[in-house]
This record gives sequence, structure tokens and C-alpha cells, in this order.
Amino acid sequence: MNVMEGSVVKNAGINPALYKKVRLAVVVWMTVVVLGAFSFGGLWLNIPRINMLEHTARNLYFHVPMWFTMMAVTLVSAYHSYRYLQSGQLIRDIRARVAALLALVFGLLGLVTGSVWAHYTWYEGTNIWWNFDPKQSMAAVQVLIYGAYFVLRSALDDPEKRGRIAAVYNLFAFTTVPFLLYVLPRQMESLHPGAEGNPAFSEITDPIMRLVFYPAIIGFIGVFWLLYTQRVRTILIQQRLDALDEPEL
Amino acid sequence: MAAWLHGAWAVFLKDLKLELRSRYAINMLLMFVLAAILVVLFAVGREDISTKVQAGLLWIVILFSAAVGLGRAFIAEEERGTVLLLQLNTRGSMVYAGKLVFNFLLVLGVNLVSLGVFLVLLSVEVALPGLLLLTLVLGALGLAGATTLLAAIIARTASRGPLLPVLLFPLLMPLLLSVVNATNNSFAGSIPGPDGWTASLNALLALFGFAGVVITASVLLFDYVWND
Repeated sequence: MNVMEGSVVKNAGINPALYKKVRLAVVVWMTVVVLGAFSFGGLWLNIPRINMLEHTARNLYFHVPMWFTMMAVTLVSAYHSYRYLQSGQLIRDIRARVAALLALVFGLLGLVTGSVWAHYTWYEGTNIWWNFDPKQSMAAVQVLIYGAYFVLRSALDDPEKRGRIAAVYNLFAFTTVPFLLYVLPRQMESLHPGAEGNPAFSEITDPIMRLVFYPAIIGFIGVFWLLYTQRVRTILIQQRLDALDEPEL
Repeated sequence: MAAWLHGAWAVFLKDLKLELRSRYAINMLLMFVLAAILVVLFAVGREDISTKVQAGLLWIVILFSAAVGLGRAFIAEEERGTVLLLQLNTRGSMVYAGKLVFNFLLVLGVNLVSLGVFLVLLSVEVALPGLLLLTLVLGALGLAGATTLLAAIIARTASRGPLLPVLLFPLLMPLLLSVVNATNNSFAGSIPGPDGWTASLNALLALFGFAGVVITASVLLFDYVWND
């Protein structure tokens, strides 16, 4: 029993003191980012008022970092699925699953913030909430894939087999997504910066906004890291508790 | 290599013989395609729909028929209890290759039949038959490639059947976009007109790459699904 407990704790691989410091750092960092994002004073971080965008430009600090985080988390999930197939350690499956859930959450948040933003700016005066923008469509497909991933997980009972089959699906889906990057921009027009014919992000973004934007990306990835490690540890503790409850045979 | 080909061929022949004996999948797919196209017809009525919508409807029928018909490939093995025999006598890659070829031929047949029925019933005119045929073949290859691995996955789950479309459709979005684009370009009255081939070049390349990547990934991943 001691050996097993030891291995579980070791697998968690987290130093509690360091974890608390990083958590505090992320909380402070995000507070500063949010304050910076909503500083209306006019003296500090006053953003330029562009026609139509006006103050909604501040959504840049939330919508875009959510996408970056989703992309990063997708990679994390696929990486751990790959490692699970290699090693068969259940901790890899837990990590892949938690990352997939967070990718789903960040993806949905990105979709909602983007859809609302576009409705009141690009499509102002129309009734459009969803316009087949390549980036939007790709995110929707990614969200569908992770939805299917969790449906598949719920259809399997044995933990070892569930981890293996789900990892296969995760990796298989991961290989098809790059095709969307190739196919979609050739068939749909995009209003996003950097798309064909549109000015690049770096050309149209005021330097003052970058003061908040880049820290916001780091902050959101920090939020992901907090949620991720927290969920993984909770699941590990839950498993140890379940193992204690089981009658010894 | 010769032994591998022999094994894959044997798996394919076995599936073909079983299918010809019962004709379950063939009959079911034919009836499904006919029923689905009739549903489309009744829903559309005598409306004049654009070639883009026609191409989209055709491929929706094909995708759903594939999701219904191809899931059987591995479930049948589980039900008959022949999985263990296959695992003992062949390697995983042979089983995958055999099933892939069988599924490919099945999808291709379904594609051709649904295309024929669709063209007649919706009175669609085809300007570039070669392009349409190439699109159907590449589309069938990608479809069979993606579905065969997923069929092996759902055969391992408790609920089996209805799960396949949920897993399959998100993966098929790149395929769907490309085939609808190329099919549309091959119809008379579409926007590119006689330049259909050049307009479809990107879509055809994407289809070719999609089939290649999906089949490669399946070969690499199949053993993890197949072996316990």
C-alpha cells in the first residue's frame, strides 16, 4: 500500500510550496491584466477609439488569448495521449482528459466572446451571430471533436481500455485538424486580421494595447495551468480515496 | 511483404464472401440511400436549388449512409466472436488493410449508386464527368480511411452503433468542404463553369492529402485499438 501511495504522490509531481507561490503570482498577474483591460480613466492605458470598434476593442485582451490558450491546450492534450499510448500510465490519461476538458471550455469561451463581439461590430445592423468565418468554423470543429471525445469516454468502462481508445481518437482527430487550416481559408472569406487581403495584426494594433494584450496571453495560459494542475491533483486524490474505500480481499 | 499482402487479401476475401452470402450491408445501404434521397426530394419539392446546394445534399446523403453502413465492419466480428481468431492468425495491419479495401469498395459502390439516382431524380446536368468521378473516388478513399479506424473503436464500446456519426462527422469536415466544392464545380451551371478543373485543384489536393494522412494515422494507431 505504501509503495502504491508513494507512486501516486510522485506522479502528481507537484511541490505544494512552489505551487502556492505560482498560484499567487497568476492571481496577481490576472488582476493587473483585468484592471489594465478596463482602465477607463483616460490617463492610464487609454486605447484609441476606432470607428465602430470603440471600447469593444478591449475584447482583444480576452477573446484572442482564449484562442491561443485553446491551441496550446490542444497540443498538451495530444501530447499526453501520445505518451499514454507509449507508456500506459494512467496519469497520462488523466492529463490528456483534463487538458481536453479545458480546451473545450476555452474553445467555448472563445466562440462566445468572438460571436458577441462580431455581432456588435462587423455585423452591426444585421441579425448575424454566426458567419462562416474560417477561424470560427475551425474552433467549432475542434469543440465538436472534444465533445465527441467525452462521449466516447463515457461509452467505455474499463479505465485502461478507455484511456487507450480515447487516446487513439484524440490523436486521430488531431491529424485531421490541420486540413481545415488548408481548406477553410480557400473557401470562406475572413474578416479576422491577417487573413488574405486584411491588414496584419501588427499593423492595426496600437502599441498601447499590446501593453495589456501580451501579458493577457501569459495570464490566460497561467489560468489554464492553475486549473489544469488543480484538476489533475483532485482526480489523483479522489482515486486514492476510492482505493482506500475498497475492501481488501 | 508477400505474406502480408496474402493476409490482407484473405481478410478482404473473407469479408466479401460473407457479404455476398447475406448481402446485409449492400441491401441496407441501397435502401438507406434511396430513402434518404427521397426524403431530400420531398423536402425540396420542385424548388430550383443552386448547384452548391445540390452538391451539399448529395454528400450529406453519402456521409450518412457511410456512417450507417461502415460501422458494421468490426461490430460483426465482435458479435460472431471471431475477433480472437483474427488476432491469432493475422497481424493488426493486415486486418486493417483488408477491411479498408472492403469498406472502400462498399463506399465507392454506394457513391456511384447514390450519384446516379440523385442525378436522375433531381435532374442535375454534369459538365465535367471526369472531375466528378475523380472526386467520388478520392472522397470514398478518405471516407473509408477515416471510418475504418473509428468502426474498430466503436466495436470496443458498450453502446456500439449510434456512436459512429458523433465521432465521425467532426473529423470529416475538411473532406466534406473539399468534395462539395469539387462536386459543385463539375456540375453544369456552377460558377467556375468550364474552368472547373483548375478551380477544383486545391480541393482535389486536399482530398488526396486527407486520404493519405488519415490512412497513415490509422495504420499507426490501429494496433492500439485492435490488440488488448
